[in-house]
Amino acid sequence: MNDLDLLLLVSIGTTAVLFAFGTWRWAGALGTLLYALQLALLAVMRPELPLASGIGFEVLGYRLQWSLSGLGWFFAIITVASALFSAWFAAGEWGQHRRNLRLLHGGLALNVTAMLILLASDDLISLFIGWELVSWASYLAMVQRGGPAMDAAYRYLVYALAGALAVLVAIAMIAAQSPALDFGSVRVWFASAGNGTIWTVMLLTMAGFGVKMGLLPLHLWQPAAYSESPGPIAAFLGAISSRMGLFAIIVVLAQLIGLERLGNLPVAFSFWNANEFWAWLAALTLIVPTFIALTQNDARMLLAWHGIGQGGYMLLGILIATPLGVSGGLMHVINYACYQAALFLAVTAVAHRTGTTDLDHLGGLINRMPLTYVTMLFCIIGLAGLPPMNGFVSKWMIYKALLDAQMPLLFVAAVIGTLGTILSVYKLIHNTFLGQLRLEHAQVNEVPISMWLPMILLALIVFITGWMPGLFLDLVDEAVVAIGITQLPHHLGGVDLGNGGLDMLWIVGVLLAAIGIGAIVYFLGNRSVRVGQFDNYAGGQILTADVPYQYSHQFYAGLLRVIQPWMRGGMAWGERALVSGADFLGGAMSGLYRAAPAGAYLLLAVLAALAVTLL
Amino acid sequence: MDFTHLFVELVLMPLIAFLVGLVMVLMLRKVRAKIERRIGPPLLQPLYDIVKLYSKKTQVSHGPMHEIAMMVALGGVIAMEVFLPVPGLNGLAEKGDLIVLIYLMMIPSLGLALGVGACANPNGSIGISRALTAMVAYDIPLMIVVAGVALFHGTTSLPEIIAAQQAGGMSTWGIVQTPVLALGGLIAAYAMLGKEPFEIYVAPAEIATGPMVEMSGKFMGTLFVMQCFQLYAVGVLYTTLFLGGGEYWISFLPKIFAVVFIPLAMTNVFPRYKTEDVLKWMWKWAGGFALAGLALVVMK
Repeated sequence: MNDLDLLLLVSIGTTAVLFAFGTWRWAGALGTLLYALQLALLAVMRPELPLASGIGFEVLGYRLQWSLSGLGWFFAIITVASALFSAWFAAGEWGQHRRNLRLLHGGLALNVTAMLILLASDDLISLFIGWELVSWASYLAMVQRGGPAMDAAYRYLVYALAGALAVLVAIAMIAAQSPALDFGSVRVWFASAGNGTIWTVMLLTMAGFGVKMGLLPLHLWQPAAYSESPGPIAAFLGAISSRMGLFAIIVVLAQLIGLERLGNLPVAFSFWNANEFWAWLAALTLIVPTFIALTQNDARMLLAWHGIGQGGYMLLGILIATPLGVSGGLMHVINYACYQAALFLAVTAVAHRTGTTDLDHLGGLINRMPLTYVTMLFCIIGLAGLPPMNGFVSKWMIYKALLDAQMPLLFVAAVIGTLGTILSVYKLIHNTFLGQLRLEHAQVNEVPISMWLPMILLALIVFITGWMPGLFLDLVDEAVVAIGITQLPHHLGGVDLGNGGLDMLWIVGVLLAAIGIGAIVYFLGNRSVRVGQFDNYAGGQILTADVPYQYSHQFYAGLLRVIQPWMRGGMAWGERALVSGADFLGGAMSGLYRAAPAGAYLLLAVLAALAVTLL
Repeated sequence: MDFTHLFVELVLMPLIAFLVGLVMVLMLRKVRAKIERRIGPPLLQPLYDIVKLYSKKTQVSHGPMHEIAMMVALGGVIAMEVFLPVPGLNGLAEKGDLIVLIYLMMIPSLGLALGVGACANPNGSIGISRALTAMVAYDIPLMIVVAGVALFHGTTSLPEIIAAQQAGGMSTWGIVQTPVLALGGLIAAYAMLGKEPFEIYVAPAEIATGPMVEMSGKFMGTLFVMQCFQLYAVGVLYTTLFLGGGEYWISFLPKIFAVVFIPLAMTNVFPRYKTEDVLKWMWKWAGGFALAGLALVVMK
């Protein structure tokens, strides 16, 4: 039994233990410890990568095997770490007065197990098994709150099943032609396959795996499904769940087909190749959901929409196919997981104290919940991709790689996404923590340490790895090498390129020093008097606390008046059309079987026979 | 590079930026005065104003975030100066490139936005919402311009962009090589300064000066100092990208003053756009020129 077997065993054990003792008072703490153990196991197995599992068997002549490559290991680290922080958050006060804790802790552990099995898959069938496990496990995680959550989860399930069928068809196509289904043989088969075959297989797999990733136009299920799940689960799902789709896409596009081949695969009737095609789809995925996020009035929905958009950056980075781009794209996965988890936790903390996540019914909580505010502040800077947080580093790498690869329009697209994110996250923090404090929240307190400590730790990771991105780039290297891309030379502070590099050690250092100077200059001025939070005026009148004057609804009215005409909900319309089409067909079939008189069948049969004879 | 030398550069660069920025603010006010047929303020008036604001007796703070935001905003503009190479001083331009610089330029705005939000004044919040919208308006064209420049020179390192432009005298300047891009950049730089007709977020008649509405004393003073740095930064950035940077201060200073003078000379005769008109106008004209310039660069 090697480390990988042990890890899978521990993970399955965690699931079993948490389902068994989920309602026990210390279940959350136990879960946290068990995730920490899994994380330790992952750290131990790092020198042994790629590590093949001893488990494996043969079904109908196909060998099923599991093996953790550097890529899977990288994603596994993020998965287990996200689960750790989510479980920690739920372990204390948050979980105390909640029903369904068994489902919460057990469901989380089951998700981790399913994801580890997926990440360790080494052939197409084990990949598919892992994929289905992940799909059903996420359904279990999403469905917990009932009501709208059930609807959202059901919608997800329909998408996931349709996607899984597409993947299954693709695997069947490969199985019909390739001698074996392990990744090595499939890679060889892809190298010899014709362009048409590759396109078919690629479109089918991208449609399947793209569902999970929220690739446009398959993203519609995601915001509601994530935001309706219980807070810590939402943090976990938001941080890593969609990235399983990205992982599978990387396996297919980069490991099996190969990014080079992708660049030589023409799109019919155009100057494009497959690489550019997917890159532009990724660009759309990062722009459109970001601007939809801007219009959201619910904090969790806003974050969930950003989750889709940030996935676009990752795919875009990987499709650039240069060491810098691939490293940037993969680094964005881990950076994003840190701040997205923390943001969901922060929003959950606010909801825990105020009972709402409606951005029109919050505000001014900064002095009531300062630690949650700091978490959100650090993490929105990360999400927006501004220095000094880690989100900036990965986005910088993607920008730089796009410019170096002569793709200026994609660069502009990436920047537009970032600008939209800046606006949207400012709205999030403004409407929650800044502005007018509502009277009913005047007595709200900070969340207890069991909730703020994991959040603050995540926020610190976001800051520290922004200062020293080399820490994460070391992990990224394992994944980059596993894809078959040259390792990106880097140091603790960033990367050193011939034509303009990045050294965050200096940048953040100077920024902090300059803020220090700013502080000195500030204190050189005359003393200021602090006034209370309710001491305000506008339009020559004293504003009293009982009058709502928070500017929060339609925060970017001017911008929306310009861009809203473009947001006509075309994709949602398409989904509705599909649903009503299926509904109609179903009704017609049902009517045919149930209501049509026997004479009609006879007539149809005669007509059919006539047609056959005549033709 | 030895440490003392670097340290001197790190101190000198923001200091020069501040002093030159003060003169630029003076120029701003003098130009406006001349157009309005006034005499205008004396030479040291900007300095007097800063001293006055910092030493005012009544200074209202709306809590820690309001104060920290001022430090971050000022720190952000100071930090950004050391990544902008000027004649004889490269500072940290090797450690962060053009993209880093552009993103560092957003830090002060974000800091300010947080501070204004903490003031809980609806006019301030509306101002920030408009300011961020204006940022979307001018940053998209600006980024297209950045992409064009980076593609044209094959690098995002500012010293290398300057060196490439200085290689053949005036004929290798960006404004000669990529004139359309330079025009788009100039319009974006104009909007970046936030003067009429793009001053939607100040809009004294509508939202009582927006972000500044709760700023008294040293808070207002910090904004004043920030303006000095920002005027200078816009001038230097444009000069670096299109006017060949600077070999000597004697030729560099006129260039940066010229860049800032163009918008300042025009701004006084304009009223104010509506928010959505700023967006449409900037995307149409600045964005259009920038895209055309980018297309020309790509075709070369």
